[in-house]
Order: sequence, then structure tokens, then C-alpha cells
Amino acid sequence: MITLQHYLWVSAALFCIGLAGVVARRNALVVYMCLEMMLSAANLTLVAFSRFGVRDGLPDVNAQALVFFTITVAAAEVAVGLAIILALFRAKQRIETDSVNALQG
Amino acid sequence: MSPLFIALLLPVVAAVALSRGAPLKLASTPVALANVLLILGVMLSRGFVSPEVVSHVGSIAMLQSPALNLSVGVDGLSLLMALLTVVVSVCACWQIDNKREGARAEHIVAHLISAGALGAFVCRDLLMLYAFHELALIPTLLIIALQGRGESANRLRVAWKATVYLGVGSLILLAGLCWLMVSLTPEGAALVTDLDSLLKLAKEHPLPALKQAQIGLVLLVGFGTLVSLFPFHTWAAPAYATAPVSTAMLHSGVLKKFGIYGLLRVLPGMLPLALSQAWLQEALCWALLGNILWVGWVCIHQRNLDEMLAHSSVMHMGYLFLGLAAGGAVALEGVALLAFAHGISIALLFALAGRMRAQLGTLEFRRLGGLGSHSPALYVLFCFGMFASIGLPGLANFAGELMIFVGCFGHPGATALGMVQWTAIAALWGVVMSAVYGLRALRALFQGTSGSGLFLSDPPLAQRGGLVLLASLLLVAGTCPWLPLRLIAPAPKDKPAAGAVAPKAH
Amino acid sequence: MPADSPSPSSLPSLLLLLPLFSALSILLFKRLLKGASVAISVGSSAVCFVLALLMLGSSDSVTLIAPFIQVPGLTAALEALVDSQSRGMIFIVQSIGLLVHLFSLGYMKDDEARERFFGALSLFMFSMNGIVLAANLFMAFIFWELVGLSSFLLIGHWFEKPSAAEAAKKAFLTNRIGDFGFMIGILCLFMANHGDVSFSGLKESLASGPLHETARLHSGLMFLAAMGVFMGAVGKSAQFPLHVWLPDAMEGPTPVSALIHAATMVAAGVYMLVRCSFVIEASPSAALWIAWTGGITALMAALIAVRQDDIKRVLAYSTLSQLGYMVMAVGLVASQAGAQHDSASPGHPAMFHLYTHAFFKAMLFLGSGAVIYACHHEQNIWKMGGLRRHMPVTFATFALGTLALAGLPLTSGFFSKEAILGVAYEVKGPWLAPLFWIAVLTATLTAFYMTRMFCVAFLGKSRSEHASHATEVPAVMALPLVVLALLTLLSPWDWAARLLSAMKPDHAAPHLTVLSASLLALGVGVGGGWRLYRNAESDPLAGRPWSRWLENKFYFDELYQGIVHLVQDGMAWLISGLDRGLIDGLVARLPASIAGRFGQRLRALTGGQLQAYGFFLGLGLIWLIYELVMVLPLNPR
Repeated sequence: MITLQHYLWVSAALFCIGLAGVVARRNALVVYMCLEMMLSAANLTLVAFSRFGVRDGLPDVNAQALVFFTITVAAAEVAVGLAIILALFRAKQRIETDSVNALQG
Repeated sequence: MSPLFIALLLPVVAAVALSRGAPLKLASTPVALANVLLILGVMLSRGFVSPEVVSHVGSIAMLQSPALNLSVGVDGLSLLMALLTVVVSVCACWQIDNKREGARAEHIVAHLISAGALGAFVCRDLLMLYAFHELALIPTLLIIALQGRGESANRLRVAWKATVYLGVGSLILLAGLCWLMVSLTPEGAALVTDLDSLLKLAKEHPLPALKQAQIGLVLLVGFGTLVSLFPFHTWAAPAYATAPVSTAMLHSGVLKKFGIYGLLRVLPGMLPLALSQAWLQEALCWALLGNILWVGWVCIHQRNLDEMLAHSSVMHMGYLFLGLAAGGAVALEGVALLAFAHGISIALLFALAGRMRAQLGTLEFRRLGGLGSHSPALYVLFCFGMFASIGLPGLANFAGELMIFVGCFGHPGATALGMVQWTAIAALWGVVMSAVYGLRALRALFQGTSGSGLFLSDPPLAQRGGLVLLASLLLVAGTCPWLPLRLIAPAPKDKPAAGAVAPKAH
Repeated sequence: MPADSPSPSSLPSLLLLLPLFSALSILLFKRLLKGASVAISVGSSAVCFVLALLMLGSSDSVTLIAPFIQVPGLTAALEALVDSQSRGMIFIVQSIGLLVHLFSLGYMKDDEARERFFGALSLFMFSMNGIVLAANLFMAFIFWELVGLSSFLLIGHWFEKPSAAEAAKKAFLTNRIGDFGFMIGILCLFMANHGDVSFSGLKESLASGPLHETARLHSGLMFLAAMGVFMGAVGKSAQFPLHVWLPDAMEGPTPVSALIHAATMVAAGVYMLVRCSFVIEASPSAALWIAWTGGITALMAALIAVRQDDIKRVLAYSTLSQLGYMVMAVGLVASQAGAQHDSASPGHPAMFHLYTHAFFKAMLFLGSGAVIYACHHEQNIWKMGGLRRHMPVTFATFALGTLALAGLPLTSGFFSKEAILGVAYEVKGPWLAPLFWIAVLTATLTAFYMTRMFCVAFLGKSRSEHASHATEVPAVMALPLVVLALLTLLSPWDWAARLLSAMKPDHAAPHLTVLSASLLALGVGVGGGWRLYRNAESDPLAGRPWSRWLENKFYFDELYQGIVHLVQDGMAWLISGLDRGLIDGLVARLPASIAGRFGQRLRALTGGQLQAYGFFLGLGLIWLIYELVMVLPLNPR
């Protein structure tokens, strides 16, 4: 039987991989991809709770509605983020995250 | 509306005007002189009231809650210190060489220091006391950095050290003051910062002795750093040696006395039992002996006039702390008198040192000598300052020192020598040490023959004014010490045939 | 009882105000007054002399001059005490002062800084009058230090000369060390006597007041008080071990030596000891110390004087020796507490010797000044000689002075020395007995070296150009010599002593042993000196191994120099280094470096790494959520 636990484990694993990538990778685009991965993990959790949180024979639609919110936020964030990366590339000709170190103390 | 507000406003206005480009000769010394006249007027209009009476009171509300007022008023002690401030200010402004490049900044700083010091001495609110002192202190540090003597790396280092040191000291002081005010404020009431209210609260609900001693310790460290109490004194000597003349005069003459003034206000009135705790009194005695003997020895080692004067200034603070440690009316009045006298004498000496350096280029004992033959007026003035500083009777410092030493021994009928008495005996050796380095400076600089052909010439009569003013004040206060004492001490009620000692809290 | 308000027209006030006015006007208006300053100074001295004469006839009183400090708890008023001691001392001070002023008119005629000299002389007269008239110890201390200042100014009159400047500095510093002790003594007395340090109050209290108890029960405190006061006298009267300033003080002009170092300033120490003799009587151990200090000083100085070649130095050491006599007498008399010596009434042997010594020593110094002047500022006695023929007046007065100092019977010096030897002989106590023999030995040496100096300088053939062309000094300088000679001759007689309210002790007929001892000392000393030096061309005693010790003053100057160099300057160097390194390091640099290193560690937080910021941001956010969700609902504020 695939239970809620399995979904949550997968989503946790996905989240952690994404977090590791955000913290450890230097390429800004890869960081964004990992960020998306983290958001997908959150979506997966929500869907899982929607599927297993059955109420009166129907899945919990609140969680499903929240998924759409998350996807919208992700899309907006990507738009802004890609604009920042483009500006970074124009300024430094690189998209490594350690090229923004002017505030390094 | 108190005339004291005008006295506070005048230097600030002068500073602002000078920064906008007002002519130096008009806007600086005359304003300082006006302030002198104002304070003299306050003194005269005060009349012969008892020294505890606070006159010329005024108050401007600044904040509603917590209640913070700019309240001013003078009692005898404040008036004496205010007189010191304005006299040293006018002489400092007089001494600034207007042809020098940074003279304008020096004038502005002098006025700001004057305003801050005056405010600290006449305000009746503990927090405003602190604030005014910071107003006076910060420009000092700035001008040492910008216009101090020596190469810029050195003066920046000296200024930084002084800034951080005094900043930490001020912080500790603020903590102590807040602790005091919080302890004295009754439960649930708004914080009381007014001096008179605090004194009344302290009398009605005195704090337990141990707590008084603890708060006293913090305040001693805080105020002590500002007054260069041993071992918190190492910022002072380089700062004075590097500062421009007027700043050195004002800082060592006036600003240092702020710490003593603060302790005189707080210790006897609000923390009378602090020094009854043996550990605190002992610690203070050792610290002040450090000032007198340790720094005295350091002073003997100096071979340069301005460094020697700077260290001697630190050394003399030890006597002031001796008076505070002794307690009792006589010693505390002696502290006030000596603070006044020392301010005048060190200002005179720094002024002379500055003038000498401007003409000679150096102040090293090794390279100078025989200056007295060609500049008799400066020789006489230097003798006045130096002999006053070493406590010669007839000049102002002696009366204060005598009262302090007598205050240490003023326990009627005691037949054994306690901690304070032995400390006083050890501190007395300081008069020998100060004579050693004082006379050595006199001999090396003004007597004998000139080693390297450097000569000094007397300044014209117009420029001597400030120096002569300071020297004559030393002479007058020295031969007639009952005059300044009338301000700060109650008149003796009965003719003292038996001379019973009756120490009472100030 | 002291008056309530100051009375500036009373005799004591005038005695203080006149010289002060003279000194201040010369200080402030020297350029305007020019030559008139000299006149003001001499004039004030003359008027003060007349006032001193008037005071001889006045009655005992205490006058308030100025309320120096009067607050509850401390009364340090300037009050003048006129009693028999101060009357006599004032007469000595004013008479010798006036004569020195007159002598200086001639001696300092060509000096460029004449006005400054006379101003300092006036300041000295002011200060000295203050000490003599002081009614309490605070006032005595104030004027004590002012006398130190005046002597600094006078000894260092020619301050361009390095040796003079050094000598002035040495004098002031040595006096300061004495003042340090003096102040300790005053403070102890202040504490023990409930704040009253007037002489009358102290004496009463010692007889039947708080001090009486203190003397009985707390002898340590009384010892400290007595020794403290004595230290002041040690400094001022140049006793061992603070004697080193007096010989160097000869760097000043000779009138200064006559005034200060023969007659007045150094006598102030003895005067104060006699004034405070009741304090010393209360502490027998202090009296012992004092007597021995005096004895050692007397002997040591006499030994050194045997081998000095500078005329002023011989006289300087002779003064030291005689002062030692006086101090010894004070100690001896005080140790016999319980005997009938009442210090208020005339009769203290030390004061009597002070009084006779003042006159003939001043005369000797002025005589030496005349000789120096006549020989064009030559001071070495071996370059003089044969002055008897050229300077008859000086010769006669100098001879009289020498005989008085040596103790020829019927001279004033004889009577006063007899008195002291008598006290030394009659003293009881095992530790004090040797002092008699020390005193006799010193008397022998005194006669010896005075004879030596007299023979070499005045008799025989002239040994240099200047000496052979010497002429008698002008009248303005010779007159004081003659006047002093008269005073010397007159001083020992009863009627003069009574007139001048002086202090001739009235004791029993002289003891036969004492008389013969003093005559023997005189005979041996004068005889030995005459035989060795009558026609000597050079000193027969020079070159012996022990004579180098005497010539170099027992190497005390070198010892003190070494102490100053090693202890003072060495400590100063060490402590200065420790101050910079240890104190500054511990209090300032250590916290600064700790703060710095701490800051460096914290710097890692701002590494510039984007993801690190994000990581910490996330951590903080998690913690915040934890607080809001888990902790806050449990204990709402």
C-alpha cells in the first residue's frame, strides 16, 4: 500500500535535495532550479494531503487550491529572479553567486 | 527664565556663527568674555546665601514622559566650577593663534567645549549632566584627530584610543547613573532624573549600604575613567600632548573636573554609605596612590614639557580622589577648591607650553635652556604656574591640598592611623615628587644656559592678558582662600577657639 | 584670645604687610620703578626694624591678621603670637635683615638684576617674619614653605650659572622633604588635639587635655608627631641627613648667605623646635633621636670644615656645626622632661646660642663678603693672606667673630657654648652621656678650623696679586660689620639680654668640669691651629688619606646623587615602561585586541557568500516560527 508516509518521504527528500542545491551550488540558474525543486516538494506535500485527507468521500480541495497559489508564486518569483540573474550577468559577465560579494566584510 | 540659559546659548551661537564664517576676532574671545561677565553677574546677584541654596533656577521641558527637563540652577559648587569654565574658556580663546590654518576649527571646538562644560555644571538633571559632558567631549576628540600635533598616523591613533577609552568609560558611567536613578526611583513611578528630587529620595529612603557601594564602584570606574583615575589613565597623557593648545587647556582644566563634580554631587548626597564599605575605600585608596606615586614616577621620567604636564595633570587627580575617599565636609570642600585651582594652574601651564612650542619648535629639556634671561615675563608666569602646581602656599592649589589632607586626619580624638591616614601620608610624598619634576622643568628650560641657541621672547602686552589673568587668579585665590571658600563652605558659626571637628554630609 | 576681626594696623600685621607690599610692588612694577625698588625694599626693612624695637616694649598678645581658611571643621587663621621668644627673634631677624640690606646696597651695586634681588629679599623678610610670629602650626607651615621659595629665588639669583641653578633646586627639594615630614607631624597633632594646632592650645592640651592622654597611652603617635615636626627642622636647619643643601647654597650672593644661612632661615628650624619643645618633651624617644642627630651633625660638619679651602664653605660648615649644637641642646633639654625648663620663659640654651650665634656669624659672613669683594671675587683662602694690613676694620671684626665662635671666655659665644655644654654634662640617661664628649670634641675642632682660616686669610704674606692690592671696603659695607661687632660684644650681658627680651638662661654657676673642658678645647684648638697655620704656605694636612674624605664632605653628595640616579630615575624609567607596557596593555590594549579578534571571528558571518546569508536567514526564520507556534501560546505576556 502506498500511504501518506511514502508521499511525505518523497517530498521531504525532494525538499532536502533542493535545499542542498540552493546552499551548495554556485551557479545561479542551478540555484533557481533547486529552488523550483523545493517548491515542487511543497506542492507534492499539498497534493498528498489532498489525496489522503478525504472528507465525505471527496479529496480535500483546500490543499488543491493552495497548490495553484504556490505555482503562481513560483512563476512570479522565477520571472523576477531571472531578471535579477540577467542584470547580474550584464554587470559581472558571470552568474556565479559568489560574484555578488561587494558587501563582504 | 534664568540668565544661565543665555550663558549656555552664547557659546553655541558663537560656534555656529564661526562655522558660518564670522570674523574670528569679533566672534570668539569677546563672546567668551561676555560669558565671564555673565557668570560674575550671577555671582554678584546671588549674594551671600548659604552654599546649598540653588539660585537662578530655570527649566525647559523637553519630554513629557519620561519627564526630561533641561533644568538649570547654581549652588555654590556649581558657581565655582562655572567660574572656572568661563575663565579658562576666555583664556583658551585668547591663546589661539589666529594666523594658523586650523584656527577657526579650534575656536569652534573651544566654544562647544565651553558650552558643554558650563551646561554640565549648571544643570540640575543627571541625564542632562551626562549629555552636556558628551557635547563637550566629542569635539575634543575630533580636533585631536584633525589638528593634533605630530604626524597624522600618530594623532589618529591617539585620538582613536582616547575616543574608545572615553566612550567605554562614558558607557559605564551611563550604566551606573541609570542604575542609581532606577534604584532610587520608587516602584512604579516614572524615572526620576532631577537632582533635587533624587537627593530628597536618597535621604528619605536610603539604599542599603552594600548596594550603595556597588553603585559607587560602577560610578567610580565611570567617572574615574573620565578623570584619569589609575589604572584608567593611559588615554590622558598622549591626548594632552597631541592636542592643540586651547583644547588641552580646556580639557585638562575644565572637562576633567566634570568627573570630580559628578562624584561630588552623587557620592555624599545619594551614596553616603558607599565608602563606608572597607573594600571600596581600600580599592579607591590604592587607585589614588597609583595616580600620585606611580604616575608621579612616570612623570619624573619625562623629558619633554608637554608630556610632563600631561602626566602631572593625571597625578594631581589623585589628591582629588584622596579628598573623596576621606569624606567629611572639610575634605570635600578642599576637593572643590583644589579642582578649581588645578584647572587654572594647568591651563596656565599648557598655554605657556603652547606658546613656547610655537616659538621654539620643540619642548625637549635636552635641547632648551636659559630661556629665562631673554623672556622674564614668561619666566615669572611659568614660575607662578609651576609653583602653584606643586602646592606652594600663597597660590591657589595649597589651600585645597591642605583642606584635603586635614580632612583625612579630621576624626576627632582618634589615636590610631587608619587606612585613609596612611594613604594620606603616602600621598604627601607626592608633593616632594611634584617638586622634583617641576623644578627640574624650571631648571632645564628657564635657567642655566641655552644648549642649542634657541631663544624665547616675551609676547607683547596685549597677548599676555590671558596668562596674566590666570596667574593673578592663582595669586588671589591663594592668598585669600576664604573668598572662593565663601561660595562653597558654610560660614563658621562660632569662633573656633577649640576647633571641634564636625564632619557633616555636604 | 584671638581678636574677631583682622587688624591691619597692629604691629605684627605691619611687620608682615610692609615687606609683602615691597615684594609685590617690585614684582609687578619693576620696569616702572627701576632704582626706586631698591629704596622701597631698604625702606621697608628700616621701618620694620623700628617696629621690632617698638615690639620689644609691647605686651604679650595674639592678633588675627587674616582668616586664611575658616570653615566648620578647620580653622587655619593667620594669627600672630607676640611673646618673649618672638620678640627676641623678631629683633634678630629685623636687625640682621636691615644690616644685610645696607650691605647689599654696596655689594650688589653693579649687579644687573639688583631689583629682583631686593624683591626676593623683601619676600624673604615677609616669610621669615611670618614664621617667627606664627601662633599656630598651619601658619608656621605656610611661611615655612614661603621661606623655602625665597631662598630658592635668592640662592638662584644668578640663575644663568648652572651651578647656582642646581644649588637653588637642591635647596628647595631638600627643604621640601623636610616639609613632608613637618606636615605629617602637624596632621598627627591636628588629629590628636581635635583640630587645634595653635601653640597655646597644644601646650594647654598637653598639660591637661586630650594630648595628655595621647602622650601617656599612644606614645607611637606622639613619636610620629614629634619626629614629623623635627623633620621640618632637619630640612630647614640642614641637619644630617638633609644637610647637603647648605654648603651648595653659598652659590648665592654673600649677603644672602649672611642673612639666610647664618642668622635667620636656618635658625627657623631651631626656633620651631623650641616653640614645639613641649611636644618633644612628651616623647622621650624622639628627644633622644633629636639630640643625637644634632650631635652627629655638629661633629661631622666640624670635621669637614677642617679641610675646606673656600672661605664661605668653611663658614657654611661652621654654621651647620653650630646648628647641630642647638638641635642637640633642644633634644637634651627635652629629654629631661620634668625638669624646670619652661619653654615660654627665657632660658633655653639653644635659643641663647641661636641669638649669640646669629650676630657673630652674620658678621663673619659679611666680613667674608668684604674680603671677597676686596680680592675681586676670590674665595680661596690660600689665595689671600696678609689682609690684616690692608683691611683693618674687616680684620678686627673678623677676629672678634672668630674668637666668639671659638669660645674665648667672656665673649658671647663662650657663654652660650658653656650653657650647652652644661646641659650636655648634666643630662641623665645612658644613651645621652656620650654627647658631652662629642660636644667637647666639636668645640676643639671649631677653634681649630677657625684659627686656621683666620691665620691663612688675614695673617702672613699676601699670596696673590689681588690680595696684595686689597683695600678696605666702602663705609656702607663696613658699617654693618661694626654694628654687628657691637651687638656681639653686648649680647651676653644681662642688661642687654633683658632689654632685648633675649633668652639668656639663668642657671647656676658654671660647673667646674664643664668650664675646664671648654677651656681645654679652646686651648688645644687655637694652639694647634696657630702652630700649623701661622706661617703656612700650603696646607700641611692636605694629602693625607683621611683628608680626602673630609675634603669631599664624606662623599654624601655623591651618595645622594647615586641614590637619586638609581632609585629615583631608575624607578622612573622602570615604572614608565611598566605604565606603557603593563597597565596600558592590560587595561587598554588587551580588551582592544580581544574585541578585535572576536570581531574577526564574527566576520565569518559576512563572508560575502550569498547562500550563507540565505542559510542563516532560514535558520532564523525557523527559530522565529518555533517561538511563535510552540513557545508563545504557552506563556502569553
